Amino acid sequence: MRVRLRFFAALREQLGARAERSVEPGTTVGALWRSLVAERPELARIRVRFAVNETYVEPAHRLVDGDEVAFFPPVSGGA
Amino acid sequence: MFRVMRTPIVPERLMRAVRDPAAGAVVVFLGTTRNRNAGRRVVRLEYEAYGRMAVAEMRRLAARAERRWPLRKVAMAHRIGLVPIGQASVAIAVAAGHRAEAFAACRWLIDRLKAIVPIWKREHFRGGRVWIGPQSGAPRRRARAARRPGAR
Repeated sequence: MRVRLRFFAALREQLGARAERSVEPGTTVGALWRSLVAERPELARIRVRFAVNETYVEPAHRLVDGDEVAFFPPVSGGA
Repeated sequence: MFRVMRTPIVPERLMRAVRDPAAGAVVVFLGTTRNRNAGRRVVRLEYEAYGRMAVAEMRRLAARAERRWPLRKVAMAHRIGLVPIGQASVAIAVAAGHRAEAFAACRWLIDRLKAIVPIWKREHFRGGRVWIGPQSGAPRRRARAARRPGAR
């Protein structure tokens, strides 16, 4: 199945804003992140939060076909 | 009104958005870009947002505030892109029957916005720019590491 990936802030600078990826059904968000880290070991030191379809999720969240998965560092909005 | 915007924030628009004849108090908070942080002179700030999720999180926060306090209306706006020093980067307006709940809800909303809404700040200073927040590093030292020029 296919999922769309989005990256923000420092992660966007390393991975680009958007990507697509094929994953096995039942893949978790955390497993998907680990597969990205396996390809780019320098990502291992980045603290990351996960959102699926614009809602925060835990690493154990299972993906379904067509999900938009966002990876980003802890937020720092405000003044 | 819940918005992530590239243009300057106009506080009167938020005040208009929360206008309500049953309101006895309107509290408006403006967060403005400061010229100094962590001992360093900041020349401008830059914000990036996950736009649709940021607006969705603002709406969820407003709904939570409305369950917690008897409010009339809430409006929230955050600016993205480059923001010069001294301008509003975030604004929250809360209308309520009485001032106590309007102040309390506005304070809670800005604290939660800073912790939850997916927006990131980057400080520009002479000689560099750096993302703000615990973006990397070992847990105990990450705040300092993230503020070091060039650190990710």
